[in-house]
Amino acid sequence: MTTESAYAGDDPRGLLSDARELAQGVRRAQRATWFPLLVFAAITFVAIPVLGFSSPHLGSCVFVYPAGRAVAPVGRACAVDYTAGLVYWPIAAVLAYVAIAAFYIRQSRARGVGTRVRPYAIVGIILALVVTGASLWAFHHPSARGVLLPPGLSNLGNPASAIGYALLVLAWAERNRALLLVALGYTVVVLTRFTFGWVIHTPGFVVLPNLVVDGSVLLLAGIGFALAQRPWRSAE
Amino acid sequence: MTSHPANGLDDVVHQRVRLGILTIAHEARRVEFSYLRTNLELSAGNLSQHLGVLEKAGLVSLEKGYAGKRARTWVTLTKAGRTALSEEVAQLKLLISQIERTPTPPD
Repeated sequence: MTTESAYAGDDPRGLLSDARELAQGVRRAQRATWFPLLVFAAITFVAIPVLGFSSPHLGSCVFVYPAGRAVAPVGRACAVDYTAGLVYWPIAAVLAYVAIAAFYIRQSRARGVGTRVRPYAIVGIILALVVTGASLWAFHHPSARGVLLPPGLSNLGNPASAIGYALLVLAWAERNRALLLVALGYTVVVLTRFTFGWVIHTPGFVVLPNLVVDGSVLLLAGIGFALAQRPWRSAE
Repeated sequence: MTSHPANGLDDVVHQRVRLGILTIAHEARRVEFSYLRTNLELSAGNLSQHLGVLEKAGLVSLEKGYAGKRARTWVTLTKAGRTALSEEVAQLKLLISQIERTPTPPD
């Protein structure tokens, strides 16, 4: 250990450049991006059996017409309401944010730098409560769903989207561009809801493909960040 | 006549180690003594001296405590410290732009 600083020189450019490097070092020390991603992947995968084995019921329905000049509908498409989801998602989200906040605080103590997790956890919990409130309202006012949000934007208020918004906030809190890209990608996935022609006949598991896709995106991103941040963890 | 940007530099802040301490404390909000010592590659005594200067100037506050059985010292930037750091960075940028505008004399 020397008594001199790590700086290369006293010139203004050198001082500013060294200050930037020190600031970036602090940001790296504050990050634990992999943990929230894996926690969100876990609550998404746990939602599969919770929602699958609950008793969903059909909400509002619309008639489906074939292409062309057909006048007779070929069937009905109905929204599936999961009452279990109204209980599961807020509890899971609050527990997830508590676990994430506790992990960041513990890591902050171990590494010796403060953490910016508090605003993130608060925003996350608020988002979870807002989404739950919106879901409850929609559950009790099924006929008003299409009035409040056009069909293309109906995913804006679902729990998976709330995770996406929370990840965007985390990217801001961590000032992490890689996470920002992942959060944007995930949010696009959950908002657009591509289907690949799958047909689920068991009402309880209608959401299974979406949850598998969402959980897999989060899991893969979490593993990626864990591997990327591994050198720092082993250097502790 | 406009004063030279170098005249606006605060001697307390315009020092390599102390600028580093303020930068880290600003970024981390709260930083532990051992993190500063490791990342600035300083001895404990040398770091303590610099922290003493900054504390006396009211730019940082020190908080001593324990994590289990280990004594810890946490450093937090004060409001005056934040102002001093942003002014120092602004002066350095001004100095750089002034240097870049000055034509190099021919050999």
